[in-house]
Amino acid sequence: MSAITTQPAQPQPQVDVQTPNVLDFLRRLWRNYYVKVFIQGLITIWAVTTFTFFMIRQMPGSPVEAKIDELMTRQAMTYEEAYRATATLFNFDPDRPLHLQYFDFLSGLVRGDLGDSITKGGVSVTSIILRYLPWTLFCVGMALVISFSLGIVMGLAMGYWRGSWFDNLITTISSIISGIPDYIMALLIILIFGVQLQWFRIGDVRGGVDPNITPGFTFEYIASVFKYALLPMLIYVLSSIGTWTLSMKSSTISTLGEDYITVAKARGLSQRRILTDYVGRNAMLPLVTRLAISVGFVVGGSVIIEEMFQYPGLGRNLYIAISGRDYTTMQGIFLVITAAVVFSNILADLAIGWLDPRVRLGKQEES
Amino acid sequence: MTYDRSHVVLSVRDLSVNYLARRGRVRAVSNVSFDLHAGETLALIGESGCGKSTLNLALIRQLPNTAVTEGAGILYTYRDGRQVDVLKFSDRAMRRFLWSECAMVFQGALNSLNPVLRVSDMVYDTASAHGIGRDEARRRVLKLFEQVRLDAARVFKSYPHELSGGMRQRVLLALSLLLRPQVVIMDEPTTAVDILTQRSILDVLKELRAELNFSVIFISHDLAVAAEIADTVATMYAGEIVEIGPVNDVFYKSRHAYTLSLLNAAPRLSVGREELMSIPGSPPDLIEPPPGCKFHERCAFATDVCRTVPPPLVEYEGGRLAACHETERVLENALETRKAALA
Repeated sequence: MSAITTQPAQPQPQVDVQTPNVLDFLRRLWRNYYVKVFIQGLITIWAVTTFTFFMIRQMPGSPVEAKIDELMTRQAMTYEEAYRATATLFNFDPDRPLHLQYFDFLSGLVRGDLGDSITKGGVSVTSIILRYLPWTLFCVGMALVISFSLGIVMGLAMGYWRGSWFDNLITTISSIISGIPDYIMALLIILIFGVQLQWFRIGDVRGGVDPNITPGFTFEYIASVFKYALLPMLIYVLSSIGTWTLSMKSSTISTLGEDYITVAKARGLSQRRILTDYVGRNAMLPLVTRLAISVGFVVGGSVIIEEMFQYPGLGRNLYIAISGRDYTTMQGIFLVITAAVVFSNILADLAIGWLDPRVRLGKQEES
Repeated sequence: MTYDRSHVVLSVRDLSVNYLARRGRVRAVSNVSFDLHAGETLALIGESGCGKSTLNLALIRQLPNTAVTEGAGILYTYRDGRQVDVLKFSDRAMRRFLWSECAMVFQGALNSLNPVLRVSDMVYDTASAHGIGRDEARRRVLKLFEQVRLDAARVFKSYPHELSGGMRQRVLLALSLLLRPQVVIMDEPTTAVDILTQRSILDVLKELRAELNFSVIFISHDLAVAAEIADTVATMYAGEIVEIGPVNDVFYKSRHAYTLSLLNAAPRLSVGREELMSIPGSPPDLIEPPPGCKFHERCAFATDVCRTVPPPLVEYEGGRLAACHETERVLENALETRKAALA
């Protein structure tokens, strides 16, 4: 194709060449795998955002009603007082037609403006996200890394030494803990280790960092951040590691049946080499996609766990936003979650290509 | 082919393999003995499930844990004359022995190479596990790739999925010779490839064998391939070697009824008018094998003795062995068939 266009021998009228070239460029751009995937990702995000935009408005009650209820019960106001207080507080008109609200939202979105929080007057959604996202990323992300790596290593060992006491023990434990929901696990840990054994004071584990320490890049502050993240992280790890371990085990067992493992053994390779590059790498492939999906959900955090520990993450903010029907904040957080899921899936495709040469991308473009 | 009859490389003595199954012990290989000489090619023929592959995996101790290998010994003689019993190796010594002394080309060429590694990585892996440097390994394998008629430089850098089935099979063949083993076990290396690829692999194998002078244990159910490549043929039935001898003797003057049946079941170009005769029934249950000769239920020559007394392996002229009560009648029949074929 390119051979024809590079031949200088055929002079063509300038006017005719110009337009097809632009189209040609766009067509090529579309054919480029990465561009294509990126655009598809954007379309997905738009669709999901639109869907959530309308869905959250179908929830019973509105931000105004939620606030009026709150004011009436908490501050014993009459309905009129509460209504007036709310109207001055909120920069939100519940009677504005839905489609106009949607276009306001979209036009803001295109400009990178997610609007202001409805319930917290004057605070922009972007600033909420930027403030709380790092906490969630740190806590859940760390937990995911730990749980994935540990799960992979244990699952590999269990599959390789299948039927050993180690395998039997961990399989049993994994099956049990992967069946317990994380919030039950959190309650159990608080009850057993906090209330019964008193290994820690329950009040101390609430929040993201010790409020008496001045924030800064000091050892004391960072240590405190780790200390406060420890319990939520432990719960995330415990509640997800069982699944990783068991999937890796079954993947390892099916990989062990492959001919190339027998051949590798017959070639006299060391056990370590066989375990890592022959069994491990092949057995891991199916798990990488699942890791990517989990990475996407890291952003949302775990709403209930963050609420239980009063952890200042995005999940807890989502909880607060949902209770107060704070539409704009909800939209913002859902947008971040959607974007994270979509783009981590794209990353997973790339990672798979890097790990598995058979699906390496970009080859198609050469032909 | 000529080979050195005085130098035995691998001597298998009374080897038995039992699989422990729920119903009982499966006697997959029972009391197999044979000698493999330097430069000799031994073809193991027989139906599926007769124990050929189990025997070979037992020789390199790569059977699954459910298999129990017993025997008087698998005696291997190094090039310097030292003799060892493979069954008595520690795991570490076994690992060093594998591939450097006894390599194997497996059946499924398509799945024998790790899909996520380049051919070069697998070459380096193999070399470094046996203390050979990267440069030396690279030099050797590039030469071998050329000898097996591959585009050496390109194949070396390729991933397995970028190669065709025939190319992969040749990569495996070259890889098996990387460490200059004395014995190469080939488990149906030509089964999964088309007839033209099969032809070229056999040609390459013959050339390499002539040049590097290794011994081959060649497993095949393709009698034509076995006849072409082998010096010695061993017929296996129900886990036993029932006949073994020089290739022409076994094929033209069969002394065991099973060998003869196998030959009659194979198509031949020269006797197009003759009908093929399949062997009735199927191989016997190896948990409770039939009494007497294990083949008697399917044998056209069977007599009362065959049904009760297991035939011993008897030596005949030319270093042949056969375990058949009716060997004279079988031989007569074989000679007649041959005469008819030539006429």
